[in-house]
Amino acid sequence: MTNWLITNADKLTLWVGAICTIALYSALYKENRFYRLFEHIFLGLATGFLVAQTWTDVLLPKWWKPMWDEGRWYFVFIAIFGAFYYFIFSQKHSWISRIIIGFYLGVASGQAFQVYANDFWPQIQASFKPIIPHGAVTIAGKAVKALSPADAVNNIIFMVIVSCVMMYFFFSFEQKNPIVKSSAKLGRWMMMFTFGAIFGATIMARLALLIDRIDYLLNEFGAQVFGEASGPKIVFMMLLVLMGIVLYLAFKKDNTSPDEGT
Amino acid sequence: MNILRFLQTVDRRVIYVLLMLSVTAPFFLSIRLPMRVSPATEAFYSAIEERQPGDFVLLAVDWEAGTRGENGPQTEAVITHLMRKKCRFAILSFAPQSPKLTQDIVERLGKEYHSVEGVDWINWGYKVDAKNYLKGFVRDIVGVVKTNNKTEPLTKFPVVMKGIKTASDIKLLVNITPSSVYQTYLQFVAGPLKVPMVVAPTSVMVPEVFNYLDSKQISGMMPGLPGAGEYEGKLGTNTKVTRFANSASFAHILIIFFIIMGNVAMLLERRQNARLGGRA
Repeated sequence: MTNWLITNADKLTLWVGAICTIALYSALYKENRFYRLFEHIFLGLATGFLVAQTWTDVLLPKWWKPMWDEGRWYFVFIAIFGAFYYFIFSQKHSWISRIIIGFYLGVASGQAFQVYANDFWPQIQASFKPIIPHGAVTIAGKAVKALSPADAVNNIIFMVIVSCVMMYFFFSFEQKNPIVKSSAKLGRWMMMFTFGAIFGATIMARLALLIDRIDYLLNEFGAQVFGEASGPKIVFMMLLVLMGIVLYLAFKKDNTSPDEGT
Repeated sequence: MNILRFLQTVDRRVIYVLLMLSVTAPFFLSIRLPMRVSPATEAFYSAIEERQPGDFVLLAVDWEAGTRGENGPQTEAVITHLMRKKCRFAILSFAPQSPKLTQDIVERLGKEYHSVEGVDWINWGYKVDAKNYLKGFVRDIVGVVKTNNKTEPLTKFPVVMKGIKTASDIKLLVNITPSSVYQTYLQFVAGPLKVPMVVAPTSVMVPEVFNYLDSKQISGMMPGLPGAGEYEGKLGTNTKVTRFANSASFAHILIIFFIIMGNVAMLLERRQNARLGGRA
């Protein structure tokens, strides 16, 4: 048995990959036990992998080995201190967990300054763009690139949109003034365009994942299990049959609602 | 059933089947749709192209099996380029599956480009708590990283680690990610130490990463799967990503068709109802 497994490990891996892919996409037809089973298998695998990887790549070299092999006995206090977190489950002793939570709150608050300075400040700086076309110049020893009329128009559009969006989030007084009101409205429209772009990008991302799985079924599983030349076509035929079954079930008169769970 | 009503109530499973067909069928078509390299991808390519042989690049990979479809081809394209340029590089990750997934790609490409582990590249493995880790990392790489992913001390790899003490010794930071880890690298490594940085995000993240590209906080961006396809075009490798582009285009056409048809049908039905004296 073991020898058979070792000999056929590659093919088994391909089959497992194909079955997992079909199982997870079966949720598109409707919620089912097959899908649930594989979802739980994936969750279990990912969690197990996380625990093992955290031990081998983090705790073993950074904590256990220095403590056990290099004689840094005081590293034991790290575990004790870290274990304070678990007191959160005790009503009586939950105050102990607040010590370590407070410690991390302090660290995070301190880091927030650095985060702001390196993340947002350069963006605020970059929002001030030149809007008058000019040739290449040197200002205070620093070369400044030429700005073409087209770039200037781009910069003006950018500045107008930034101002309008900021106006939308200006809640200190009621937006009665027609200029304030209309610019806030324009800001809202611009944000709608952005949300549309984000939604479109999300569809593209999800499609990319689907395409990758289809490529796996056709060109990895199909080609290696059924042969390089005819394998992808055989799998394509199998997928067509599967799609036909889905359509048949979808239009079957006595079919239950697709939203009903098992 | 009225055709206008039908177009608004198409069973979602019918749409899924059509989508599946539009994604699968193009794999068997010989046509190739044209692809234009975006300025963002061009800038990403230039950032690596400008490197000299032996330059040290930090390859920060933070993706897992769930986004292999996008981040996998991106990683493959970047590693191919780094190996062609004979740059040294180190893999570092804050996602548990990433070191293994990336190692597989590097080993496969390493055979083609004669790139050797421990000499040309090293895998520093999985780390936790990105912010606090990077705070120490920028000042003392060897002291913080300590070992590779096989728990061997970094001192065993003098060739790949030559001259690498602090994050300032890193010539380029490449982050391939489906999460906001790139911001942490920006806040704690690239920003304070002025290390040039490029990002390869998933398509979902592209609109937000453009902010950082516009403010020049990052030097380039490879936007999702289309970006990987453009990059392959630049490298002249044209592997499976170019095939993927056809499927993506056909699927997009189908989705746009359904959006237009659904909305047109809704508007026509409203007008019809108004004419008949019903509710608009």
